[in-house]
Formats: sequence, C-alpha cells, structure tokens
Amino acid sequence: MSIDDSASPPAAAKAPLKPRGIRQTMSDLHIWAGLLVGWFLYAMFLTGTVSYFKDELSQWMRPELAHQAVVPDPAVVAQRIVTELATTAAGSPQWSIGLPDARNNTANAFWRKPGVQGRAFESATFDPASGHKVAARDTAGGDFFYRFHFQFHYMPVLWGRWLAGFCAMFMLVAIVSGVITHKKIFTDFFTFRWGKGQRSWLDAHNALSVFGLPFHFMITYTGLVTLMALYMPWGSDTAFKTPAERQQLTAELSAFVQPGKPSGQKAALAPVDAMVRQAQARWGRDNIARVTVVHPGDAAARVSVSRGDEGRASMSPQYLLFDGASGQLLQSKDSVGPAAETRGVLYALHLGRFGDLATRWLYFLVSLAGTAMVGTGLVMWTVKRRQKLPDPDKPYFGFWLVERLNIAAIPGLSIAMAGMLWSNRLLPVDLLKRGEWEVHAFFIVWALTLVHALLRPAKKAWLEQLWLATAVLALLPLLSAFTTQRPFWHSLAAGDGVFVGIELMLWALAALHAMLAIRTSRHAAKLRPARRGAPGRTAATASAGEAA
Amino acid sequence: MSHLASLALCVFGFTALAVAMERHQEDLFGRPMVPATARSLRIAGWATLLLALAVAVRAQGWALGLVSYSGHTSLGAALVFGTLIVQAQRKSRR
Repeated sequence: MSIDDSASPPAAAKAPLKPRGIRQTMSDLHIWAGLLVGWFLYAMFLTGTVSYFKDELSQWMRPELAHQAVVPDPAVVAQRIVTELATTAAGSPQWSIGLPDARNNTANAFWRKPGVQGRAFESATFDPASGHKVAARDTAGGDFFYRFHFQFHYMPVLWGRWLAGFCAMFMLVAIVSGVITHKKIFTDFFTFRWGKGQRSWLDAHNALSVFGLPFHFMITYTGLVTLMALYMPWGSDTAFKTPAERQQLTAELSAFVQPGKPSGQKAALAPVDAMVRQAQARWGRDNIARVTVVHPGDAAARVSVSRGDEGRASMSPQYLLFDGASGQLLQSKDSVGPAAETRGVLYALHLGRFGDLATRWLYFLVSLAGTAMVGTGLVMWTVKRRQKLPDPDKPYFGFWLVERLNIAAIPGLSIAMAGMLWSNRLLPVDLLKRGEWEVHAFFIVWALTLVHALLRPAKKAWLEQLWLATAVLALLPLLSAFTTQRPFWHSLAAGDGVFVGIELMLWALAALHAMLAIRTSRHAAKLRPARRGAPGRTAATASAGEAA
Repeated sequence: MSHLASLALCVFGFTALAVAMERHQEDLFGRPMVPATARSLRIAGWATLLLALAVAVRAQGWALGLVSYSGHTSLGAALVFGTLIVQAQRKSRR
C-alpha cells in the first residue's frame, strides 16, 4: 500500500479530509495481491487448464501406443498386471495399479521399493494388452503440467505445494476484493467498450471474471482444500493421536490401504480378476479405478478394488477389500463420515474427473477464461501506469520489470509448453533420462523467452513472442506428421478422436495467439498519436477507470 | 443432449436480460424500450435461466447437474457478450 501512496501523493494528501472508501481500499488490495503472485497464478491456471485433458495429452505424447478403440476389460488387465508385477516388483510390500479407461490407454502402477523404510516408490507404465512395460518413448506426458500446477519443479515437492498454497490464498483474496471493487457488477454485466484503452482492458477483465466467477471461486477454494492436510494439520494432529486413529483417518480419505504387518507365512495370491468382477457387478464394467495389493504372496495379503470417478461428484474412497490369500470379500467401503464426504465433494469439484466429455470441455473453457482473467489483470497493471509515465521509453524499474515478466509469463509460457511438445517429438528415443529432458526443455525454452523479453523493446518482444507461439503451435501437428506414424490425416481416417482433438486444439490455440498478435500490432500503431495529441483525454480515461 | 438444451436456454435467458438493459437497447435499436416490455423481458430472462437449471438437474441429478449448469451459464453469458461485441463492431463499421 505504501507503494501506491507514494505513487499518487495528491490522493494521500486528501486522505484526512475524505476517508478512502471501502471500494478504493479493496481496489488497492486487489491490484497488489493480484500483481505480487500474478505470474505464478497465470502459470498455475494455464497448466491446470490443460490438465483437464492430461490423459489425452499423455496419449498424444506416446504415439507408439495405438489408439484405443475399445476399453479392455479391467478385470483381465488387472490380472495381467498383477502377474507382471510378481516379477517386476517382486518382494515389494505394496502394489497399486491404475487401470485403463476411456481416456487412458495404459495401466499405471507404482509400488513400494522392497526393503526400504518410509515413502520410497517406483512406478512404471504398462501396456494393457500384453501386461509388459510399454514400448513407448520415455515421457512424463500430460502429468508434468498437472504436477507443475500445484508443486512446480526443481524444488522439494513440499516447498512447491506451500508456494502454490500461498499463491492460491492470494488468489482468494484477489477474487473477494475484486468482487467488492466491481461496483457495477450487474449494470456492466454485458458491457464492453471497444478501443478505449484501459477501459476496454477493464471491461474484458470484468467479463472474464464475472462470467466464470462461480468457477474461479470454486477452483481456488477447492484447490486449497485438496492440500488442506498439509496447510492446516493442527486439527487432525490434535484429534487423532494414536497410529490406529491416524490409520482410520487415512481410510476415510483414500482407498490407498496402508500395509499392516506381514504374517511371514507364504500363500499364493488368489485370482485378482474374480475380485475385480465382483466390483464390476456393483459399479459397472468400466467404472473401476485402482487395484491395490498389500503383502502379495503372504498369508496376510489384502487386495482393494476401488470405484472409478465416473458419475459421482465425490473423491471419497469407495472400495471392496478382499483377503488376498482366500479371495474372500472382507469389507465393502461405501460411504464416509459427513466431514470426509464434504472434503471428497470439494476435491472432486476441483478435478472434474466425474464429468462426461461436455462437462470436461466446460471445465476447460471456463478455466481458460480464468487464465485470461489473470493475464488481462497483469497487463492492465502496465496499461494503467503507462499513460502516467513521464517518458514511456524510460520507465521506472518496477514498471520495466512487471512489463518484462508479463511477456515471459504470458506468451513465453505458451512457447515453453509448445516447446516441451516439440522436444517430445524431436529428442532421440534412446536418450538417457529422456522424460526428464523433455521437462528441462520446457524450462530452457521458458528461460530463453525471459532473456528475450528483457533484451528487446517491450512492444517488439510481445509481438515476436506471440508470433513465435503461433508458429510453434501451428507447426506441431506437421512436426508430428513427419516424426511419427500417425499424421493428422491418418488419425482422421482412423476416427482417432484423441489425436484429432489435440491437433485441432493446437491449431485453435495458434489462431488465438495470432489474433492477439494482430491486435497488439494494431494497438501499437494507434497509441502514438493519441499520446502526443491529447494528454487531457488520457487523463480523463485514467480517472474514469479508477472511479469504476 | 441435456447439455445442449440447458446451454440454449441459458443463451436465451441472458439475451433477454441483456436486451432488457437500457445501454444495450441504445446499441441495438437506437432507442430505449418501453419500461413494461423491459420488465417482462427481465422476468422472462430469469425464468429461462431457472428453467435451464431444471433441465440440467432433471437430466443429471443435483450433484452433476449443478456443476454443468454452472458451466452452461458461464458459456451462455460469454456467447451473448461476444455477440453484442460483434454486433456493435458491425454497426460502427457501417
């Protein structure tokens, strides 16, 4: 707040006579809370938005795996992977297998490393047809964007999650203060004043915020809820003290059965497909999420089969628990307590995994509007202040920094994300740690866009990066056509909705960046005479903007 | 199918609400509307939005219906907003 006061001494001098209204105070809070973490929020929003299609993106990033026209029977696949894990993960006290579904053509398993205490896991991706590890390029797939959006990278996971929570808290403050600031939320509901500089930016920012307001608030709040046990552990720490109590808490929150003590007696694992079939009879053939096996090969083995997300807006665990040696059904977990269920619903609302394809698209589009909301907010900070600069060619340091960071954060991120997909197609398949190099490529490209933004004049940097983003997005389907066996026309002929959908989306995003580039270049042409000719008018629009 | 029905109702509802506002009447027709007409448009708009909610909830239940209804209202409002902008652009070019 001190920054704002020093920037506008007349307002500060007037303050004792006429106290600043709640709207003005909230406006300041909104502006500075939004700016401080705006670049993080933009990246979290955009990578989170694409995560609604992370499974499809993962498919696109593993072009060696054929398009899955029919979902294989989960019971058969589960048995296949269990058989495979008996050798791949021999001696491990716990396996957990994510089964393929309509959006996912692989089975993903992770297991505890044998003989290591604590949380040490290994994981692999399996081909549901053969049961063996997939013969595809090493890639993190769409999961990278998903992980990045709440824990970032190159830092301990917990730090990243704390940082994400800190930013989300600021977002929540920005949303609430933004609503209070926005005086004419109903009168201006459909208002857009074209070609009015700052006024137009404000109208666009308001429209993007207000239309998606229920979503923006929900996604920020539920985002915090997903990690609430990390951010606010004191309640559960006080209530649940003994290991047994803590285990009961875990059971209310997750289907991930904690391994107890093995008996030491050997006993073969009963057929897992029979257990999955019992679950299918209850929830439907394709509505099985995971199979978790604890102490396989031991007489005390347990198998849990958990229900999929389809058709229920809750992430609360629902599973069948079996005796692994006899195959007997021990327990059917159908519901959790009201508090746990509240969390389950909020969690599910954030992830949106329960929805059909139309709902998923709605999530994607409104979330994209949220990204644009943060983006327009960031740009507006500079638009509002550029008019007041004594010499626009030599701005003060803070302005210069914000302007440059905006460029690297907005078009720069588009280029970096596309860059990762380019590296997915271009890096040699036998490169050591190839999957990690794709991620490094993302950050290397992003860093380069920052360097570019710092060195070039601002307007040129915006234009060049927007056009570059357009080019790298538009060329990706072509690159893919030349480097894989699955060019666009083949996917179209084969009715492969995933590849066709992703590549059409890339072109749509390229078109969006081209439109932004064209508008930016036109804006530059108009700005100069207006600034020279009518200083009175710019001042008037600026004050009109503040009044709103 | 229920998605499309609910979305269409939302677009209709928001269109009625927008047309009931004086600012957009100036843009669209060049003159304000009779207050009584505007009031009935406003009522029709809100009623249609409620009807869209009913359609979504009937087809998908409260849990999923409310979620998709929230998406339909966001998208519907954005479509009306976009149409008004295009309309205003066309008019200023003429």
